[in-house]
Amino acid sequence: MRQLAAALLAVVLLSLCALAVGRSPVELLRILTLGSVGSRFAIEGTLLKSIPLLLTGLSVALAFRAGVWNIGGEGQFITGAIAALIASHLGVVPAILASMLAGAVWASIATLMRLWRNAPEVLTTILLNFTAIHLLGWCVNGPLQERSAQYPQSDLAGASLPVAGELHAGIVIALAASVASWFLLYRTAAGLRLRATGLNARAAAWAGINVNAQLVRAMAISGAFAGLAGGIELLGTTHRLFERFAAGYGYSGIAVALLAQLHPLATVASAMFFGALATGAGELQRTAGISSSIAVFGQAVIILLLILFGSWRSRD
Amino acid sequence: MLRLQHITKRFGDNLAVDDVTLELRRGEILALVGENGAGKTTLMRIAAGELAAGSGTIHRDGEIGIVHQHFLLVAGFTIAENLALQRSWRFASRRALEREAETLIASTGIRLDDPSRRVETISVGEKSKLELIKAIAKKPEVLILDEPTSVLTPQESAELFTVMRALAAGGTSVVFISHKLPEVLEIAHRIVVMRGGRIVAETEAHGMTASDLANAMVERTSRAAGVASTDSSTRGEIVAIVGVAGNGQTELAERFRKENPGAALIPEDRTRDGIVAEMSIAENLSLKSRRWNRREAAASASTLIARYSIRATGPDQDAGSLSGGNQQKVILARELEQKPKKILAAEPTRGLDIEATAFVHAQLRAAAAGGASILLITSDLDEAFALADVIQVIYRGKLSEPLTPAAAHERVGALMAGIA
Repeated sequence: MRQLAAALLAVVLLSLCALAVGRSPVELLRILTLGSVGSRFAIEGTLLKSIPLLLTGLSVALAFRAGVWNIGGEGQFITGAIAALIASHLGVVPAILASMLAGAVWASIATLMRLWRNAPEVLTTILLNFTAIHLLGWCVNGPLQERSAQYPQSDLAGASLPVAGELHAGIVIALAASVASWFLLYRTAAGLRLRATGLNARAAAWAGINVNAQLVRAMAISGAFAGLAGGIELLGTTHRLFERFAAGYGYSGIAVALLAQLHPLATVASAMFFGALATGAGELQRTAGISSSIAVFGQAVIILLLILFGSWRSRD
Repeated sequence: MLRLQHITKRFGDNLAVDDVTLELRRGEILALVGENGAGKTTLMRIAAGELAAGSGTIHRDGEIGIVHQHFLLVAGFTIAENLALQRSWRFASRRALEREAETLIASTGIRLDDPSRRVETISVGEKSKLELIKAIAKKPEVLILDEPTSVLTPQESAELFTVMRALAAGGTSVVFISHKLPEVLEIAHRIVVMRGGRIVAETEAHGMTASDLANAMVERTSRAAGVASTDSSTRGEIVAIVGVAGNGQTELAERFRKENPGAALIPEDRTRDGIVAEMSIAENLSLKSRRWNRREAAASASTLIARYSIRATGPDQDAGSLSGGNQQKVILARELEQKPKKILAAEPTRGLDIEATAFVHAQLRAAAAGGASILLITSDLDEAFALADVIQVIYRGKLSEPLTPAAAHERVGALMAGIA
């Protein structure tokens, strides 16, 4: 209900913006809709964009449910992709496993700092994002640069995901990950412990739950999902690394998870919505000459409204 | 000054207050008694305007002050700063605030030394005094005190009663919510008994006895869990640690928790440390389980709800919406069903009514009879004497030598005060 109100208000606000630049909001909305779900091509584009969003969204939802503030999806996404590229010469399955492992390891650096010196993971994961972005920059200008050494990008990966039309098998993996997350959180004792820790860590500790173990676990799983998102994006869509590879997927995952109220199954719909927004915005740029930054702008408006509506109700 | 007519309040399926009509007289001390979940606190929060009534009318005249069971203080601020928060904004030096606080505290007749101390460093009893001072400072027409004596020493309680009598003599009406019947009979002019959201008895205090009151409060149901036959060779020992709150009990409990993984733990602050409020009863009961299946968990929760007579709509009800006594029963059910060898029970009956207290005591005795050794940390001496085989006094973080209950009778007062 609240999400609906926020989404409607977002439409109103964005329409006003359209009017302000002298365009008809109805016309723009039509282009946005047609461009995201109006044709087979558009729908495939939307689905392609939602795959990494779904996985980074799950990464955030799982961590937040356990009370772990992993804001480092962007960095884990990048390290996952780097690992996938390196391992892709062994085949696509090792590449995917490597991406998950790398994401988990990168996220666990923050866990270690938290356990060792109680450094808050909100800060360390953000800072690790910058570290990863520069690590990627160095990789594509150095050890992983293409053999011809012409552009700051890597050679094509040694393997890629199976495709059907424009779509690749990543969508199956992402949907499976969503169901698996739901099962873990709501149908297993391990998930019960994760959620209890997120809701009331003190009570969890008194009930005999090892709270630090939950932190370690939540961060590792969360990082693995973000890394997997990066690996799949590389193996399914871009096939090579370049400097702006992450394109904000890690950060958008926060928006996706919040819109879904941190529920793994609702995250599917939420990821599709943001995927459609991004794809439709591309069409807006091509046919109406409106910058695709507008999609990012729209995303921001929606998140702000969600937070606004959320806190407005919790003051009840 | 305060008139409540046909007040009704529902929380989900639970009828917390059911058609209550109550009028307060000027300058009286009214005791509101009843078991946990009877609706006392809810009714008073409605009276104070903190909760909206579902239906009914409320006539209020003047300020209504309420002192809650839990503290609403800024821990990092000093006593003086906490008192200054109630006043309008202005520039003031720390020294000026402290002088103002001293005057204010003196005017209430409550003893609270040195307002420059930070609230996080003062004892529980002092915090409750500070809350009382805050409420009195607003010069309320009606002052509501929710279980004010549960954290006080006998001396502090006596001091509180003097203040309450002085307020009443000055025309303030005081509502005193309590479980402790001797106190109620000592202080109240009029007594209202609630059960299941309704007023079931309303009487002048004069001439009442504790047993009359107890009978009115408790709907006698079948007694659960009697004491199992005792075989002294396998029976576990109950060691009670008694003392004034804030003498190291919390630290002792923490240490026990860290040193005894797998022990049953009944924490002192049940809403903060005992339950996950947003989770269902079934989920709270499963927190210690290695394996978990939702359907089995719901079934076993239903069994435990019946066995521990937890008053709930079902295993799916949020634990946070239960009354204090029923939350405590959920914790007991979770911890004791593990058949533990060691049990820590910290203030296991704080804020509980007679029946719930008797239930908790019976469960602890049964666990001891079953071979568990129990460390009971309590500020309630009656509880210690009722349960313990051995009593030790904690004072300023140090434990006295172990005493037999008979020996403790003589020495416990002096030890608690740090005289012996």
